[in-house]
Amino acid sequence: MRYNIAMISDYFFPQPGGVESHIYQLSSKLIDRGHKVIIITHAYKGRTGVRYLTNGLKVYHVPFFVIYRETTFPTVFSFFPIFRDIIIRERIEIVHGHGSLSSLCNEAILHGRTMGLRAVFTDHSLFGFADAGSILTNKLLKFTLSDVDHVICVSHTCKENTVLRASLDPLMVSVIPNAVVAENFRPLNYVEPSEDGQTGTRLPPINLLGPDDTITIVVISRLFYNKGTDLLIAAIPRILASHKHVRFIIAGSGPKAIDLEQMVERNVLQDRVEMLGPVRHEEVRDVMVRGQIYLHPSLTEAFGTVIVEAASCGLYVVCTQVGGIPEVLPARMTQFAKPEEDDLVAATGRAIAALRANKVRTERFHDQVKMMYSWTDVAARTERVYEGISGALPEEEFYGIHAAGAWTATRGRAGVQSFALMDRLKRYYGCGIWAGKLFCLCVVIDYLIFVALEMIYPRSGIDIAKDWPKKRIDGSPNRDKFASLNRSRSSRHRDKR
Amino acid sequence: MSLTSRPPTLRIHAPTPTTVSYTVSTRPYPDTFPLLLLHHTKLLIRIICGLLISVLLFAKWRLTFPLPEAQQSDIESLVLSGAIGTFAFKIAQAIDWRVLGPACLAVGMGVLTRGYTEESLLVLRGLGIQTSSSSATYLSSSVTRFIPTTSIQDIFIHEAFKGFQVRFYLAVVVSGEEDVVVVFPKLLPRRQILEEVWRGTRKCLHEPPADK
Repeated sequence: MRYNIAMISDYFFPQPGGVESHIYQLSSKLIDRGHKVIIITHAYKGRTGVRYLTNGLKVYHVPFFVIYRETTFPTVFSFFPIFRDIIIRERIEIVHGHGSLSSLCNEAILHGRTMGLRAVFTDHSLFGFADAGSILTNKLLKFTLSDVDHVICVSHTCKENTVLRASLDPLMVSVIPNAVVAENFRPLNYVEPSEDGQTGTRLPPINLLGPDDTITIVVISRLFYNKGTDLLIAAIPRILASHKHVRFIIAGSGPKAIDLEQMVERNVLQDRVEMLGPVRHEEVRDVMVRGQIYLHPSLTEAFGTVIVEAASCGLYVVCTQVGGIPEVLPARMTQFAKPEEDDLVAATGRAIAALRANKVRTERFHDQVKMMYSWTDVAARTERVYEGISGALPEEEFYGIHAAGAWTATRGRAGVQSFALMDRLKRYYGCGIWAGKLFCLCVVIDYLIFVALEMIYPRSGIDIAKDWPKKRIDGSPNRDKFASLNRSRSSRHRDKR
Repeated sequence: MSLTSRPPTLRIHAPTPTTVSYTVSTRPYPDTFPLLLLHHTKLLIRIICGLLISVLLFAKWRLTFPLPEAQQSDIESLVLSGAIGTFAFKIAQAIDWRVLGPACLAVGMGVLTRGYTEESLLVLRGLGIQTSSSSATYLSSSVTRFIPTTSIQDIFIHEAFKGFQVRFYLAVVVSGEEDVVVVFPKLLPRRQILEEVWRGTRKCLHEPPADK
């Protein structure tokens, strides 16, 4: 089955980051699998309007007001008219939102459900429960996820977090991890294994370290509080004091960069700590291969793609044991620390000792990571989610044997979410005493706006955009069949109204 | 706005194989007799309304700043002493400036507004293309722009955000200019029309390969 999918998030290129590259990689692999994918994001400086990326990936940079760290102002309804226009002209069937802080994504899921589309949400981050900001965010997330077809989380920790925050049925949450493009993260002197599979010759030479060889520790992260920069600032002088032949390379920028520079100057470590400033994503590999250890002091992390990239480059990883990080890499590739200064210093010491004793076979990491993570696999698993929510897969197969017979309010009888306004209102009403009523009000207003928009900008007045020309694979009458199916569904929807 | 809500139609006029004119317009084309009659009646009403308000304003002017009989010119006395003139004087006496002014302004605007939008693209092989866009009123002429072939770099169709919509547009890339020139900028016709114009323009603008 071929789907038309809209990926929606506030976070996309040209801004660098994990969510951004996740969306891009997933989209391009889904296109390779024959789906049509568009991306809707807000306008960045110098990027407004419609753009095409490689492989016919279409990006809509919607002009919107940005308030904080590239997140748009949360207006509940203002995105609807333009969203509807894009959805109709691109004949979208599945709305896939990314990032729980992205208001564009939250709005899109609400409007998408109002328009009778399937909605999927991918959560990339972890949140607390205690402080005021988190409570507000969690309420907003609960609102959005009250009526969503499926949720994807990047790690099991993230799944647990999301299920608790949004009071979801765990059956409708899948875990699909991030991946890395292993070809872009090869170690130095890496020889491509030959096709005939001779395991004896393909292993790269073991790089033995002498006791006086310099060990370089690489840190690449945005220098924000949640990335653990404060921990790093406290740990660096202690690590450098207790180990003689150790250097640091730090890449990245952010509000904490100034503190880091002050620390370097105060301790006169200019010759042992190299600050590179911001690096582009394609340069990350070149920075990584200059070191032997990758230090990741993050305080909260749902997945941590960067440690996979580091391991793929053949670096031994020292990281804090928070969030989804322990799930990401096997124990032989990592040295865990508690998120505190003393333990981080101790773990780094252990890692340096292990490398000096040549106990870690870092040269094998690349091939192992390549076996574990691939975007093609991520795309295939995401496609299965799409098939499950659109009813192409039977309920037992998609939700597992436990779901059979258990009818819940969140899932309809056929295993797929009902679009009827009454059913949707029931789902929202359960959100809380006051919140439930408020959410219902929002949904009703949203529906009325939808009806009004249908009158002001009728569907017949919206041009259908042409699909990116693609080589036809044999047996593509499938496409026409699908188009008629689509039409009959939308006409049914109109009748209902 | 309600006047221009008719979907724009495309007319192609190609007198020679090397010259094509594409006109996109919301103007209705009266082809049957009743429609023709209606069209001309509307035109007549416009002219009469326009004349009436000018006479009315003139009468008010004369009432406010009267002139001695001897200084009046022949045409003036002819207009003002006729049946219409006396009627105009009556109305002008009855109505205050503050009401008459805005009312006349509104009617005048209605008379002068074009009521339709017409935009065209003229393609001349070897010379270039000329875009033109009709003005909103009858007072000003249409805005035209000629782009010689030598400075045309490309012609393409793309999409952009316009209000709450994403619209297709036909654009010409002119060398040495930062912004592209949008053809049919006011009407922004549907994709089907744009594609027809785009294909035709490219075919007409460039010499076909010699051995075909």
